[in-house]
Amino acid sequence: MIKKLAFGAVLLASTVYASSVNIYSSRHYDTDKELFKKFEQKTGIEVKVIQAKDDALIKRLQTEGKNSPADVFITVDAARIQRATENNLFQAIQSDVLTSRIPEALRDKDNRWFAITKRARIIAIRKDSGFENKEYTYEELADPKYKGQIMVRSASNVYNQSLMAAMIAHHGEEYAKTWAEGVVANMARSPKGSDRDQARGAAAGFGSIAIMNTYYLGKLASGNSSDKETVSKLKVIFPKFKNGGTHVNVSAAGVAKYAKNKENAIKFIEFLTSTEAQEIFAKGNYEYPVVKGAGISDLVASWGTLEDDNISISDLGNNNKKAVKVFDLAGWK
Amino acid sequence: MINGLRGLKISSVIFTLLISIPMITIFTYLFIGNTENWNHVKETVLLDYIFNTLYIMIGVGLLTTLLGFSTAYLVSLYRFTGSKFFDLALVLPFAIPTYILAFIYNGMFGISGNVTGFILDLFGKNISEVPFFWDIQSIEGAILVMSLVLYPYVYLVCRTYLSFESSSIIEAARTFNLNTWQVLKKVIIPISRPAIIAGATLAIMEAVSDYGTMDYFGVNTFVTGIFRLWEGMGSIEDASKLASILMTFVFILIILERFQRRNKTYKSSGKDFRPITKIQLKGWHNNVAFIICFLPFFFGFLLPFVQLIFWFAESYEKIIDEDFLELFLNTIKLGLISAFLITSIALLVVYNFRLNKDKPSGTFVQVIKLGYSIPGAVVAVGILSFFGILNELYLKLFDNSFLVSGTLIAILFGYIVRFIAISINNFEAGFNRIPQSYDDAAAISGVGNVKTFTKVIVPLIKNSAFASFIVIFIEVIKELPLTMVLRPFDYDTLAIRALELNEQAQTIESAVPSLSIVVIAMISVILLIKNMKKA
Repeated sequence: MIKKLAFGAVLLASTVYASSVNIYSSRHYDTDKELFKKFEQKTGIEVKVIQAKDDALIKRLQTEGKNSPADVFITVDAARIQRATENNLFQAIQSDVLTSRIPEALRDKDNRWFAITKRARIIAIRKDSGFENKEYTYEELADPKYKGQIMVRSASNVYNQSLMAAMIAHHGEEYAKTWAEGVVANMARSPKGSDRDQARGAAAGFGSIAIMNTYYLGKLASGNSSDKETVSKLKVIFPKFKNGGTHVNVSAAGVAKYAKNKENAIKFIEFLTSTEAQEIFAKGNYEYPVVKGAGISDLVASWGTLEDDNISISDLGNNNKKAVKVFDLAGWK
Repeated sequence: MINGLRGLKISSVIFTLLISIPMITIFTYLFIGNTENWNHVKETVLLDYIFNTLYIMIGVGLLTTLLGFSTAYLVSLYRFTGSKFFDLALVLPFAIPTYILAFIYNGMFGISGNVTGFILDLFGKNISEVPFFWDIQSIEGAILVMSLVLYPYVYLVCRTYLSFESSSIIEAARTFNLNTWQVLKKVIIPISRPAIIAGATLAIMEAVSDYGTMDYFGVNTFVTGIFRLWEGMGSIEDASKLASILMTFVFILIILERFQRRNKTYKSSGKDFRPITKIQLKGWHNNVAFIICFLPFFFGFLLPFVQLIFWFAESYEKIIDEDFLELFLNTIKLGLISAFLITSIALLVVYNFRLNKDKPSGTFVQVIKLGYSIPGAVVAVGILSFFGILNELYLKLFDNSFLVSGTLIAILFGYIVRFIAISINNFEAGFNRIPQSYDDAAAISGVGNVKTFTKVIVPLIKNSAFASFIVIFIEVIKELPLTMVLRPFDYDTLAIRALELNEQAQTIESAVPSLSIVVIAMISVILLIKNMKKA
């Protein structure tokens, strides 16, 4: 009743739509809001959104079961996509648009989810540190010659867990643990803060090498003057695994198991992978597009070319639990 | 008359049961066997979690006591430069959400903070050349930041106690030949102990349930562990088990607090609630008192407030639009409705226990306080599980769809579970002040229960109710994780908007919703203090 009243008031004030699509999303960006508005204008389908943390939304979807109003679930990070898939929260769909546009490695083999953006975990090195003029592997970050140089956030962070999951996929748990111990020994301080804090710290001279995601650097570059200065002091390097590429994590969307507006949901996901939408993700939020031909932001392009690692999203998801354990064993806080 | 009592008891039982269900759901996981995840946690990080959590509890307990009691003592018993102003100003830090203070302080005093940078520039040094740099992103930093915004809990309880209830005892002590220090040490500190502990317990409960600040400052507590098990390892069962251990810890704390209160409450006989005569301070005594009160006000409120105002001025044009006004109103509406609901339910539950005095209700009153000691997101999990069961049941019985999650009822229920402890504590203290003889007298003279309540209890409990209303209102407008996951479609609040902007590195823009929260809370705090003064 209260809910109906609240919505009634909102509905009266806005455009009347023919139908709608209900989104549960763990992405919290203004670019997404912009995209939702574009979709509404284009199709006349109203987009309703609830944004919250991934695992909380997974729990909500589970407990709502058949009654869930969700049509699309958008989530960030391989482990969460895997978890949602294992808990049977998505349904398989048929869309030639999606299967032809999105590379095989970036969608589920049974078409339950499709990646919509990519983000790379890279290193940003202070330009006058003497460490910035070479190529890097992730493995060598454990080398004692980088003692006191590494800035990185805590093991609670999903992007670190995902990077560790990739390390395990490449080399096994034993190696991964030794590697983590090496990185811990090289840390400039015990892990804390956000990715942005690592960049700020390294730029200020607290350590020299910040492990972070690319799009945070983009956000800093478009921020206030001191954040702009931070970015200007750093050089972006794309490290690679010895037998692979740069670690990449994704945001993905899938049609919810009990979607009431399935057709709208498919249309919506197809729209997110259109060149126009992909460029808004890439230029507005400094992420990487998942479809060929979509442009990226000039700033991101200036950092160099991204070559994706060859570990599959589901392997990253499957190794996530092991990754947390390796962190704990290695004393990575 | 009997029927009125029974009605009160039945509704109180229903409410306490409903509110305790999410906690009980989580608590049942205490008894699941040792899983592989659990063994891993036990062998690697559990000791660390226990140590850090205890460190936080002791640190926040001591620092909030130090800040809250010393200032309450000075403001209640003395007159000095600014003492009237401080009486109100010392509660203001309560208006600043912890996560906002943590963020602002790191931006100022952290390794790349602007104050740090300014000082380094002044000496022409690089941070790597400084031999010892105290990093605010540390466990001590977390204790400091938490205490700066939580000490008003201690301040409020102690101030009320010292100014009104203990006046006869303190006045009596003054007539003996004791100097100020002796009065403080031998009389005031011992008699204030229950008030101090009551306030510090709330501060400790809020500190141990915090995730945002702890994670940001890299402190691994029980709560960090709960999230690692849940999000990192995907095991909600093991996460709940860890949460139930935390709840056990806090439950022991609550029982200890009640025990010491029962044994050591010095109350006036009820007739002489008159304010204490204040002594004028002069010379260096005056200056010291001023500094002791100025520091917590400055660091807990003024400094972050001014920073927010600067950022607000820079970005309000970009942020304030129609949508913003809508979420502004949402926030206030949620705050008002839940403050009213929670205060009413807490009053019902506490009053029922006072009249009926049966052991089970007494225990349940303590159990439902536990919602305040676990993180909002974990409370949300308990609530969603409960709704899930209701949902299944309804589907089976009526073959129809019925969904509580995503309605305002779900959010309001969440707030009740999470914050009712504050309101209950308020009423417990309030009722403690009313001698049992009042109820007895009313009963003997044949006045009905309803009349006793409206004519005797309501006037005496009015202030506690008002205080509870305001404090809950402030907590709700600051709340984040529960609101996020339980909310309806397209429903935003100020706290959610602040987080969104901040996570997109729009620090300056995020000051617009943040400052809105602070100003609304500030106005509420001022109303609260004005009301207390009238009392």
